[in-house]
Amino acid sequence: MMNRDLELLAGLHPRDVAAVLSLGHTVALATGDKLFRLGDEADHLFSINRGRIALTMPMAVRDRDENILIEERAAGQTVGWSALIPPHRFSLTAAALVETEVIALPRAALVEYFTGNPDVGYAVTRNIATVIGQRLEVFQAMWLREMQRLVKLSYA
Amino acid sequence: MEMFLMIAAMSLLGVGVCVALFAAATHDVRQAERQANQPAQNAPQFFAPEIATPADRIPIEALLLQIERHVRLEQAAAESFHYAPTAESLHSRSASPLVH
Repeated sequence: MMNRDLELLAGLHPRDVAAVLSLGHTVALATGDKLFRLGDEADHLFSINRGRIALTMPMAVRDRDENILIEERAAGQTVGWSALIPPHRFSLTAAALVETEVIALPRAALVEYFTGNPDVGYAVTRNIATVIGQRLEVFQAMWLREMQRLVKLSYA
Repeated sequence: MEMFLMIAAMSLLGVGVCVALFAAATHDVRQAERQANQPAQNAPQFFAPEIATPADRIPIEALLLQIERHVRLEQAAAESFHYAPTAESLHSRSASPLVH
């Protein structure tokens, strides 16, 4: 994965990409390892270098709590944007589906760097807004499709 | 003769009053018996096992895989709406086994 392919840092000058990545550290995950859990404090943003991450939420299936897949993210994509959005708590659990490597970027270091480099902060914030906006639109559509089925089942 | 008719009329009236009183007195008892019998009819019976729904027959691991497949297919359908938003793409059918 080339750094220029990271969705979080799209549109940035290579010098700025290197500077932002130098704020973080690499985390290696074995298959099944948890990157973060629902309800944890979100103090790091993660960019996936390689591998795949499953984002799950708990659901009762036959009286058993099961982690149900909500979304899957792959190399180049970002997870954990709750780190930049109050109340800074993860609303999903993230686990590695295969051997995975991520760059963990601490919120405090990012905010400090963005304060000193507002043009970089603007570009990164815009990239995150794109990720959040896409996810919102996709989930709006998924929610409406389920609502449509519910209406059909209840009032057919 | 008049005496006989009067006694007969009084007897009939007496029987009628007795029937009415008996019916009123046993009404609450019959209602209680009906209510007592109802739960017994609804209770599971040895020779009439509960009918399993299709979801109950599927092993939980298979059900979880179906849910995962459903999420992936629904997400793909929703993403196609995201890139080309129309009413048709919003309500396009997916191959998910959970919705057929």
